[in-house]
Amino acid sequence: MKKVIKGIFHHLFLLILVVVWLVPILWLVVTAFSGYPGINKTHFFPETWTTANFEKLLLHPDSVVQYGAWFKNTLIISIFTCIISTAFVLMVSYAFSCTRFKGRKALMSFSIILNMFPGVLSMIAVYFVLKSLNLTNSHLGMIIVYSAGSGLGYLIVKGFMDTIPISLREAARLEGATELQIFTKIVIPVCKPIIVYQVINSFLIPWGDFVFAKLMLNKGISKDYTVAIGLYNMLDRSLVNQYFSIFCAGGFVVSIPISILFIIMQKYYVEGVTSGSVKG
Amino acid sequence: MDNQVEKKKKTNPFLTYFKDLGTAIAKGDVSVKLSMLFMGAGYTFHKQVIKGILVTLIEIAFIIMCIFYAAPNLAKFGTLGTVQFEQVLDPLTLQTTVNDYDNSFTILLNSIIALFLIVCFILFWISNMKSVYRLQVLDNEPESLTKKHINTFREDVRSLFSEKFHLTLLSLPALGVILMNIIPIFVLIAIAFTNYDQAHMPPNALFTWVGVSNFKSLFANSLTVTFGYAFRKILGWTLLWAVLATLTTFIFGILLAMLINSKTTKLPKMWRTLFIVAIAVPQFVTLLLVRYFFGDTGIVNSICSNIGVTEFLKSVGLVSQHLNYIPFLSSEHWAKFMIVMINIWVGVPYQMLIATGVLMNIPSDQIESAKIDGATNFQAFIHITMPYILFIQGPSLITDFVKNINNFNVIYLLTNNAFITPDQKLANSNAKEVDLLVTWLFRLTNDYYNYKMASVIGIIVFVICAVFTILSFTRMISGDREGDYQ
Repeated sequence: MKKVIKGIFHHLFLLILVVVWLVPILWLVVTAFSGYPGINKTHFFPETWTTANFEKLLLHPDSVVQYGAWFKNTLIISIFTCIISTAFVLMVSYAFSCTRFKGRKALMSFSIILNMFPGVLSMIAVYFVLKSLNLTNSHLGMIIVYSAGSGLGYLIVKGFMDTIPISLREAARLEGATELQIFTKIVIPVCKPIIVYQVINSFLIPWGDFVFAKLMLNKGISKDYTVAIGLYNMLDRSLVNQYFSIFCAGGFVVSIPISILFIIMQKYYVEGVTSGSVKG
Repeated sequence: MDNQVEKKKKTNPFLTYFKDLGTAIAKGDVSVKLSMLFMGAGYTFHKQVIKGILVTLIEIAFIIMCIFYAAPNLAKFGTLGTVQFEQVLDPLTLQTTVNDYDNSFTILLNSIIALFLIVCFILFWISNMKSVYRLQVLDNEPESLTKKHINTFREDVRSLFSEKFHLTLLSLPALGVILMNIIPIFVLIAIAFTNYDQAHMPPNALFTWVGVSNFKSLFANSLTVTFGYAFRKILGWTLLWAVLATLTTFIFGILLAMLINSKTTKLPKMWRTLFIVAIAVPQFVTLLLVRYFFGDTGIVNSICSNIGVTEFLKSVGLVSQHLNYIPFLSSEHWAKFMIVMINIWVGVPYQMLIATGVLMNIPSDQIESAKIDGATNFQAFIHITMPYILFIQGPSLITDFVKNINNFNVIYLLTNNAFITPDQKLANSNAKEVDLLVTWLFRLTNDYYNYKMASVIGIIVFVICAVFTILSFTRMISGDREGDYQ
């Protein structure tokens, strides 16, 4: 009996925590269906329910809301970012894990240290480098921002490649395979699960990034924005009272694919974070 | 004996580097010596004609680059340009003509790139000399069975896909890193020593070198320049925030993971997923939403005043008397408290995920034997579970700390437009009480174009992060086990 009561309290406590964690998400969802366009300051649930926000968002773009265009922009940027980053990370990981050359360890250490310096700090300089290349306010510039330095984040994939038995590569080498063939025909197929992680991870960057997008696309026209910047601009003081529920609808729509990808990825996330440290 | 030789080599890599170059120049034949001027000469003479031509082409390209790109920029590098931008409107044709002005920033950037290229070329030249000399030694070796064969060009290219494959693999990613990480860092450092700000914005105005005066003004404190005051305040809050944010999410993450992992919990996977849903929604959406949730006239405030919480807090003195709302994000102490709380909301599910992974690997026999010996749950947690988790997660804690120092999203999205500083001294430096160094830096550049001070702050943050990074890094590298499975 005591055990049952303890179990009930245990689950009740968990339930309270879950409610606390999900209240803002719930507010996002219900406000997305609200008939009142501004911020509902007195009631948690909207007084009138409607799907008009979604219709406006997806079907009737105006000067502020260009959701379709934003979604397309972000999609294009993230697809290219994803391809380039994944290629870079695989290349660097293979070079560090499967080949041996002079200065390899030093280069690895240097890369890790460099990678830990956050991009936010040097962003002014990045902005001006790209400006002098005439790449600000362009999607190509965004792709470069997100993917150019990605080779530094090799640690997780390299850790995975380190677990591939060396005999596999030796055997191929004896058969006369070149390193290129070993890389593409043997190592990459074995690495599939970690490639899934890498692909999703780099795909998600442009969807969640706010700082660089704001800096790089600030002077552009609304049509060129990414979802993050577009949604942020809706909350401008002069717009928020007409667009808040549309903002929620937009946030809700973008969250669905992102959440699914994130939940697929989360089991690798743990490996990723601890792989740098679980060395004991 | 062998060991000693190896040790010597290891302790003096720089010395051997230049010694090899010296040997190459001293002992090289005419063609090798000629390579000092015409880089391809040695290759051409020693049967690698195509390589010789290619190397010479690179040399020519470099010389052209020097003449047309590096020289004009580096000549102005000392002053960062002297010709002011001028625009003349011709009253007859109504056309404006712009003079041949100097753009200080372009000069700075191009000079840095040029210097970078020159350093690369010098390294390339040294390695070229050495490899030409090696080629000479190889070529002059008497014919024998052990004599190594001199690669043809085709074989050289092929080697890029076999034994030198790492060069092929690393070249493109390295180029990206140089463009996005290394050159910007140098530019950042350079700007910190100039007077680049709103009054000196290219192309309309020039900026120039000012030495360390920006660093001085960061620590100065006068009526007009309050950067010293603002810097000390913000640095203090940044460090406090980083410690609080790291520890709270870490501890609550472990507690939540243990709560869900406990044997009493039914359907642990479902509970875990529910928490993950909260963080799977893009952060900028949830944070912006929460900002309105806790706004001065927001929904939490109206609920609180309906059920009397506001009045209660007023009577306790936590909310000042003249307000009729709770200033969740608009007064200093409330905002700081809320930011830490909201960060717990954002960060705990991540930590819970990691802690779950770590807890699953914990040796359960230890805990069980401790319990048999009479340890309580709490004692087992303090003496077995915690040390184990700390051992595994120690380095990532420091990484988290560095990340929190630069936690732009949480602070900026929660307080931008919501928090207005009452402190005139801070406002003079465009800072707010709740700013971190990075958000201050971002506002200085994005809103006030004060690039010089932003760069100085950037460098300071760099140094702080570097210290902690290297701390965690030495531990990460020392335990490298890459060979374990291979």
